[in-house]
Amino acid sequence: MEAIVYPAVQETVYYEKLPNGLEVYVLPKEGFQKTYATFSTKYGSVDNHFAIGDGEFTKVPDGIAHFLEHKMFEEPEGDIFATFASQGASANAFTSFDRTVYLFSATQKIEENLNTLLDFVQHPYFTDENVEKEKGIIEQEINMYRDNPDWRVYFGLIDAMYHKHPVHIDIAGTAESIGEITKETLYRCYETFYHPTNMILFIVGGVKAEDVMRLVRDNQAKKTFAEQGEIKRKFDEEPAAVKNANAVITLPVSLPKCLFGFKEKELPKTADELIRKDISTKLMLESIMGSSSSLYQELYDDNLISDSFGSEYNASLDYCFSVMGGDTRDPDELLKRIRTSVDALKEKGIEQEAFERTKRKRVGGYLRMLNSPEAIANEFTRYRFRDADLFKLLSVYESIGIEEINSRLQEHFDWSQMAVSIVRKEQA
Amino acid sequence: MTKASMERGQLNRIRLHVIPTKRFKTFAIALYAGVPLAESSVTNAALIPFVLRRGTASTPETKAFRERLDDMYGAGFGFDVLKRGDSQIVQLRMDVIHDRFVSSDESLLAASLRFLGEVVTDPALDNGAFRTKYVEAEKNTLKKKLESIINDKIRYAAERCLEEMCEGEPYRLNALGKIEDLESITPESLYAYYREWLQHATFDLYVCGDTSLDEVKALVGESFSMPAGAPSIYGMPKTRYETKERKTVIERMEVGQGKLNLGLRANVGYSDPDYPAALMYNGILGGYPHSKLFLNVREKASLAYYAASRFDGHKGLLTVQSGIEIDNYERATDIIKEQLASMENGDINELEMSQTKAMIANHLRELQDSAFEIISFDFNSVLSGKQRTAAGLLEAVEAVTKDDIVRVAKQVKLDTIYFLRDEKEA
Repeated sequence: MEAIVYPAVQETVYYEKLPNGLEVYVLPKEGFQKTYATFSTKYGSVDNHFAIGDGEFTKVPDGIAHFLEHKMFEEPEGDIFATFASQGASANAFTSFDRTVYLFSATQKIEENLNTLLDFVQHPYFTDENVEKEKGIIEQEINMYRDNPDWRVYFGLIDAMYHKHPVHIDIAGTAESIGEITKETLYRCYETFYHPTNMILFIVGGVKAEDVMRLVRDNQAKKTFAEQGEIKRKFDEEPAAVKNANAVITLPVSLPKCLFGFKEKELPKTADELIRKDISTKLMLESIMGSSSSLYQELYDDNLISDSFGSEYNASLDYCFSVMGGDTRDPDELLKRIRTSVDALKEKGIEQEAFERTKRKRVGGYLRMLNSPEAIANEFTRYRFRDADLFKLLSVYESIGIEEINSRLQEHFDWSQMAVSIVRKEQA
Repeated sequence: MTKASMERGQLNRIRLHVIPTKRFKTFAIALYAGVPLAESSVTNAALIPFVLRRGTASTPETKAFRERLDDMYGAGFGFDVLKRGDSQIVQLRMDVIHDRFVSSDESLLAASLRFLGEVVTDPALDNGAFRTKYVEAEKNTLKKKLESIINDKIRYAAERCLEEMCEGEPYRLNALGKIEDLESITPESLYAYYREWLQHATFDLYVCGDTSLDEVKALVGESFSMPAGAPSIYGMPKTRYETKERKTVIERMEVGQGKLNLGLRANVGYSDPDYPAALMYNGILGGYPHSKLFLNVREKASLAYYAASRFDGHKGLLTVQSGIEIDNYERATDIIKEQLASMENGDINELEMSQTKAMIANHLRELQDSAFEIISFDFNSVLSGKQRTAAGLLEAVEAVTKDDIVRVAKQVKLDTIYFLRDEKEA
């Protein structure tokens, strides 16, 4: 077991890579009642075309990673939620573009709960019958999201940007695509992506590192996993241009929802480049349109935006895009005003003062995030799967200067790379 | 269980509650200001925090006001308007990092309390009233917020169900007020209401972090220019109801999924001896993924993705919510009613008892890890007049028997069934 000390954030993380390939991280938090654990696989909705080693490539139905996540909770003796409940733990799971995370939080019976987490995720149990039964439940989940305008406008934007890359596919799939899922395809995905070499266990809270590590070691030593070759993922060539510059959906909403974003032409090549691009772009977006920017205040004063207005940036090695916007009375006017202001800023550059203030704000936000065991576990794993270290971000923030932000501004706001997604009510 | 010790004091109209601890990297600050929920004042009270967050006398421009927060290492600042029991409560929150992580010229706690003090007691004014520009803009923001409730169908259905159930009671009102009141509000009328609010609302200020009551009291004394007077206290909310005829409301809209909501009168409140048993009732019925609603509506019948219940102890109400295929309305309603009946018949096994106790205990223990959750839990005592600690409540829940739950179940009365469905004719 290795202790990694991070003086800047006053945290110590204990790490060990087990013989079967599983990476285990433990972050003891003195004085905390609860323990929060996440068991994550680097497998999400985008991983729909893959092979192991020199094996043949398989293409699987949309939504299968999420379907698999649902089905993992079923064991021959019943629902695993009941076991967690008996041990006083609240359990859950979620699937994103690039990972599936199983988690629990508990204040007692930590050993039992950790064993339950490891055991149920490492024990698939799919039958023709239980797979069919789940389709009705997931169909209702899909229907719930279809009625949600925030979800629709967000995925509408990604869909407008990407022609081929599976990031544009709804994480839960569609009623049709999940209809094709069988227990055989589920086992195929499971065997490929739930191998310990593709997973990370993160435990944070009122625990002793050595005790937890021993428990995990013992649990894993009792199981055998066949050696597995490298996982290969295949993505069809994605054109640089956006698929559809303007996408509109009709739903009953009080005001139009308008999100827009830019699809990055140049993708980062290394993990370091990726993290830098991620942080510098977020600093740039916050500097020019954050809640204390002149642009934000002007748009708010003119009743073009509301408190829902914001920006985010999604970066990975094979897709990078921004998302901005919110509710607005007039999407065209909003876009016009933003374009004029951003073009002016591209001419004169972002002010040093605004940049320094944004940097301070984001450093503070980062430190505040470290109060939350949930945020630490989830963010740490997200960065780790990208070969980066959450606890080293402070130094990345410190190393970014105004020139880098200004060049990000020039590069990112390439109007030919913009897509717009609007949800509005039926027009009379 | 380690208890968060609480130091209490008062300064003028503000009661102070301080939780000294070194466990967090931040200071968490919450100010609650409550007034009786009433038709005549609901919109004024809701609008106040929107206008207060635009600027203070020393930083009247919103941009400069927000830059102050950024300069405090991105201090978090936010507010909510809540409906709790028979009260309408404005909650203002701040969250700022401890100075030890950064090189700051002054204490970030002092800077935050000064900021909050100015926001609440020294707002930006023009000619003895709120600034017209801010009042007009925030009226518009509030209007948009009220109109946007319809966008989120889950929330819309929940609010409509409560509104139908509480027809004729103040509790039907939205905490954010009424759109039709907004037009007549002027900078002068709102300012007059605000002066009254400062003199009559019940103020409770919480600080959780590496500090003490003495330090907080000194800082609040310097930063808040409150009117003189003593703190006021919350009235006891009504949590007992006459039985009335059951109501069914079906509303149509352009939706794909039906939203089925049930409103029930629990007739048990936070301060009642049966409160722990009511928590158990809700937990067994629909609070968790091992509960009857989840198992029977979702897992056994595959009718829904979510099916859950929520108990509001401050108002003695219980709600059930589920998203279903529209054609399954009757089947789902029947299954939910069967679960209510089985609670009343005492069809509750040992496993359900022990699982639910373990889950509630876990929740009560883990809330100690979040500064804002410690604060919210304690505020329940302030609001209800019934002092409960997490440890005491945990013990009381452990002692609940099946008979206690059945006694609660017999008092729970189904009041309203609300169904949001599509526009197609059946």
